[in-house]
Amino acid sequence: MKGGRNVLHLLKKKAFLVLLVTIVLFIAIGITSRNNSKLGWFGNLFNTIVSPVQNALTFTGNKVDKTLSYFDDNKKIREENEKLKKRIDELEKENEELKELKTRNDMLMEALNIKNQLKEFDYISANIIAKDPGNWFNVFTIDKGSTHGVNNNSVVVSSKGLVGRVLVSGPFSAKVISIIDIDSAVSARLTKNRRYVDVKGDITLKDKGLCKMYNIQPDIDVAVGDSVETSGIGGIFPKGIKIGEVKEIRQVNNELDRYAIIEPAVDFNMLEDVFVLKSKN
Amino acid sequence: MRSRIAFAASGIIICLLLQTTILEYIKINNIKPNLLLVFIVSVALLRGNIEGAVNGFFAGLMWDIVSGKVIGFYALLGMYLGLIVGSLNKRIYRDNIFVALFFTFSYSIIFETVVYFFGVFLKGNTDFLNFFTKIIFPEALYNTASAILIFFIVVRADRRINKAQKLLRKY
Repeated sequence: MKGGRNVLHLLKKKAFLVLLVTIVLFIAIGITSRNNSKLGWFGNLFNTIVSPVQNALTFTGNKVDKTLSYFDDNKKIREENEKLKKRIDELEKENEELKELKTRNDMLMEALNIKNQLKEFDYISANIIAKDPGNWFNVFTIDKGSTHGVNNNSVVVSSKGLVGRVLVSGPFSAKVISIIDIDSAVSARLTKNRRYVDVKGDITLKDKGLCKMYNIQPDIDVAVGDSVETSGIGGIFPKGIKIGEVKEIRQVNNELDRYAIIEPAVDFNMLEDVFVLKSKN
Repeated sequence: MRSRIAFAASGIIICLLLQTTILEYIKINNIKPNLLLVFIVSVALLRGNIEGAVNGFFAGLMWDIVSGKVIGFYALLGMYLGLIVGSLNKRIYRDNIFVALFFTFSYSIIFETVVYFFGVFLKGNTDFLNFFTKIIFPEALYNTASAILIFFIVVRADRRINKAQKLLRKY
């Protein structure tokens, strides 16, 4: 009899404990789902310990991956190819900038006092050391943190275009949410006519490295191949960073209700190095 | 007890490290296995609901920290997963590999469906069947495959710890 009562008592205690932990976790979820929460130190502690290991593992993974791909091809040709590809990237970026400058020229004539906002930033180069542990989201870790000048909401780009923004930054590493993640939303505009749209991540498209363009006003003229860039609205992303190109336009119910699929300039499956923008002042 | 905690802690950290780094290179159809879930299920099967829940809680917490969106979501899911697996399977052959594989498969589907519901469905993506065939089902298969190895390791470690403890008690 006594034993039975003890078991009952223990069960009650266990149930109580589970309930308590559940409530505490709900509170933690509530607190941390807001931006700039104060619980960040807790994660930073763990990440600081773990990030060098992740760095080493990803580095080895990269190396093994690359070594395996050398099997059927000459090493030198690969290297040269890579060099040339980098050069092409540089040139493409330059070309893109020049094109952009050309389209902007008329605008600038009207407003000569507008500065090129991207020139106000320093570039911090960073490597991707870890990806998200699950299959649903697209958050990754980079090897630069607040000691290098990376802050929450810092903007992350690659040589080709916008990658995302920093979600949380620890002392030596930072989490970056990419623009193809379901929780990401970027205010954007079409380069050719400067009309505002929204670019959001979409879970069905993220595996192909694509995202969606919403809020296209009925009167906006949009076509496949149009270039999309950040609008500067919202205060996180500076104006004029290339996001990508319109790949497909889809009607939902009628012609006025439509969304577009964007092919980001950045290839998220191949992404290894990124740059974090740090404002100069 | 100390060796059990050490085993669980190292298991969690190794699974998490593998999941965020190396597994990225062996994705099939953009899906990687969820080793941590398999680990939680294996430990809960062998050790019962209390240890399962505690292990699940800490595994989930580490997951939260590494994935970086909110802290508490996976900790909550992990705790309940460990608790439920540990409590439901009391009377079944707990170190039978086929039982473990079956439970890994079914709990993978349940777990990922819950993640889908809170992380994706509530944000307006209601096409469940699509996600089921593209993410949840392949991941469950992949988990089951990786469970063969993980469950084997967990069982071996568990037996070894039991043996050591029996020896300790003798003297």
